[in-house]
Amino acid sequence: MKGPTTVINYLIALVLILSLNFILPRLMPGDPLQAIYGDEAIIAMTPELKAELVARFALDQSTGRQFWAYISSLLRGDLGYSYFYNAPVLAVIFGSLPWTVLLVGLAIIISTLIGVVLGIESGYRRGRPLDRALLGVLMFASGFPDFFAGILLLLFFGVVLGLAPLAGATTPYAGCGGLTFLTDLFKHLALPLTSLAMVRIASPFLLTRNAMVISLGEPFILTARAKGCPDKVIRYRHAGKNSLLPVVTATGMQLPHMVSGALFIEIVFSYPGMGSLLYNALLTRDYPLLQGILLVLTITVLSVNLLVDIVYTRLDPRIAYAY
Amino acid sequence: MLEIKELNVSYNGTQVLKNVNLKLEKGQFLSIIGESGAGKTTLGLSIMGLVEGSCSGAMLFNGRDLLSMCEDERRRLRGSKLAMVFQNVENTLHPLYTIREQIMEAVLVHGADDKRKALAKVSEILALVKIDGDRAARYPHQLSGGERQRALIAMALVNDPEVLILDEPTASLDAFTKNEIIQLLNEIAGDKVTLLITHDLAVAAQLSNQMAVLYGGRIIETGPSEKLLANPRHPYTRGLLRSYPGMDTTKDLQGIPGKMAHNVTGCPFHPRCTQRINICAQEAPELVDNGRGMIACHRGGIIPLLEVKKLSKTFGYYKAVDDVQLTLYEGETLALVGESGSGKTTLAKTVLGLLRADAGAIFYELEKVSAGDAKFRRQVQMIFQNPRESISHRMNVFQAVKEPLDIHRLGSEEEKLALVREALEDVELPSDDNFLNKYPHHLSGGENQRVSIARALVMKPRVLVADEPTSALDASVQAKIIKLLLNLQERKGLAILLITHDLALARKASDRIAVMLAGRIVEEGPTGRVLAVPRHTFTKSLLQNSRVGQLCPG
Repeated sequence: MKGPTTVINYLIALVLILSLNFILPRLMPGDPLQAIYGDEAIIAMTPELKAELVARFALDQSTGRQFWAYISSLLRGDLGYSYFYNAPVLAVIFGSLPWTVLLVGLAIIISTLIGVVLGIESGYRRGRPLDRALLGVLMFASGFPDFFAGILLLLFFGVVLGLAPLAGATTPYAGCGGLTFLTDLFKHLALPLTSLAMVRIASPFLLTRNAMVISLGEPFILTARAKGCPDKVIRYRHAGKNSLLPVVTATGMQLPHMVSGALFIEIVFSYPGMGSLLYNALLTRDYPLLQGILLVLTITVLSVNLLVDIVYTRLDPRIAYAY
Repeated sequence: MLEIKELNVSYNGTQVLKNVNLKLEKGQFLSIIGESGAGKTTLGLSIMGLVEGSCSGAMLFNGRDLLSMCEDERRRLRGSKLAMVFQNVENTLHPLYTIREQIMEAVLVHGADDKRKALAKVSEILALVKIDGDRAARYPHQLSGGERQRALIAMALVNDPEVLILDEPTASLDAFTKNEIIQLLNEIAGDKVTLLITHDLAVAAQLSNQMAVLYGGRIIETGPSEKLLANPRHPYTRGLLRSYPGMDTTKDLQGIPGKMAHNVTGCPFHPRCTQRINICAQEAPELVDNGRGMIACHRGGIIPLLEVKKLSKTFGYYKAVDDVQLTLYEGETLALVGESGSGKTTLAKTVLGLLRADAGAIFYELEKVSAGDAKFRRQVQMIFQNPRESISHRMNVFQAVKEPLDIHRLGSEEEKLALVREALEDVELPSDDNFLNKYPHHLSGGENQRVSIARALVMKPRVLVADEPTSALDASVQAKIIKLLLNLQERKGLAILLITHDLALARKASDRIAVMLAGRIVEEGPTGRVLAVPRHTFTKSLLQNSRVGQLCPG
């Protein structure tokens, strides 16, 4: 581990993000209350409510105090109140977050795994028919925007063949549990997951394939062959592991893109995740919710990057010393 | 045990190994030496079955042909019966696994089902190569170059292979580490067949008992290490030795002219060889036994250009030269040292025919020289001690240098002028008309000596007899003249009989030394050996007296 320096770096990033989130609404012209709560809240505003809000955000006090009030409410898990949903922001977000985590997480894992395995096999057979075929198919698939792929899949499997449900994450009011619940979940998940993952196989595939071609030319491959390692061992244990390194970094960086991809996909499939939530919050100008979503997303991205850093040190012992 | 028969390896059209034959028995330690690109590593890799190109021929290992085995069978031999240690360059070890894991893998891929036994094996081998457990648990980038090389050796040895191939195991190591690795390799070689691939002649000399010189994909000379190094017979082997700065090298470093090319018809070395004849460009020579090893050379190795057999010269009752035997090989410097009056100059003059010998014979290119032999007179030239005496003061530079051409009636006047200019350029003198018209008294001592060298070179001689060529010159001019002669030797294969009483000069300029005392040769041998371990009492006292020549008397 790189130790405390890394953690401190991430903490600095976190503080910067929190400050931005704090400053932005206050920089907007007009009443900060309006900026924080949007038009809808202002219409319903009573003097009592206004007084309560001013006290809550410490708007009648110094900026430092206001920042402190903001941070301490965050620490209490209070992200504000959504007047559109008439519920605390955190609760609204936690209602959607698991679906997106399920969708994006699975899409990342699946696309990376498939990409890496295909990349290893392809790089090993560089220039041979399988390599060419894979290269062609995956480049073609990656050419689609994910929402377009989603629409196509939805039309074909959902509408024409009727194999998959058209919307939602579960069948509403089915009330079933156990295995049937899981099959239902999977049926709803299959199409959005496929469209999200399909177009993203190409990136880890190309990275792995490239790294593989370079790794195979490294002297340690010759050493491994001289040891008598069988082909498969050389492919995966020696060249493959070495080729994994850039993919890990790239996967971490993929996450924000994946989230924006999920936004469209969730709308296409009416999937009740963060994407749909964000979309609705935008339409209704639900500012507290928007802010909360952005905060949660940025913190997620930060944590994933930290995770990638840790995984990287595990994978490559040389990183621990390079700084 | 391992026999390679007519092995040919080619990578897309380029033949990297041609007709390689080797037979190795248990306990044999063979080094393959040669320049980079000679095919040394390819030879190692093709034994392992790791070569990318196509192989033909046969490779018998314990009676079974490796080349006709299927890939899986070969894989099972790799690392178990046949092992290779690679040069420790960046990433020869896998950067992401610890040393122990990598050595362990070498055991496990060959089907050790008992993990505990495998672990014991790894610990045992680590102890043998002196890596302690703590270091073995580290990653390659945390270890020193020497430790990584040890790890590579351990990895190759862990399955106790019968054939061990070492590819530059000591390159890029410092002297201490190198020595440790050499000792380690010496210990482990035992009754294995060991093949050392190296361009480091000193390492080869310390480790191997047999040597094979590889050039352009062919083996051109083999023999017992000591003999091959002390007395190389192939001009390429001699060139390699001359370019290698050993701790006991005395002569100035000389290279080999030109560079190695593949796909050469005829002898692969002929474009760079200074003693080539017509057949060398047409046919590749066979590797034949020459009594103490094998050699592939149409001329049978470096030819003896000038042989002096039982030569005697008496003035009245005084025996100036007494039963002298000498051989001067192509492209070498033989220094004839001894005190004044020992008969060195008389010997030189008798050899050249300036004095009539009383007994004995001179052979030039294996043929006996008779009086007035024009070829001998043309190709054997002399440089005298004092240029002011040896160049007529009545002749200008042009006339002096041209004179031998006039005597031998070679070419027209224009051709002669061109030859004179070329000879003057060879000795790094101006060749313009102004200089050509100068007389000896216009020139400095150094310039005069160069003119006399030019006069010798204008005949394009093969042999130069130089009698104290620099004793009248100051040190800086002497240095230039000696360098000039050695350069000509490197480029044209000039053989030089250097007569001198200056042992320090002989040490830097000669390949071999002959010590003369009262008309007899009392000791003869490679310069390094003669000066380090003199055998004759006179040589010892000559050395003792030459100690005065030390710059830092300690």
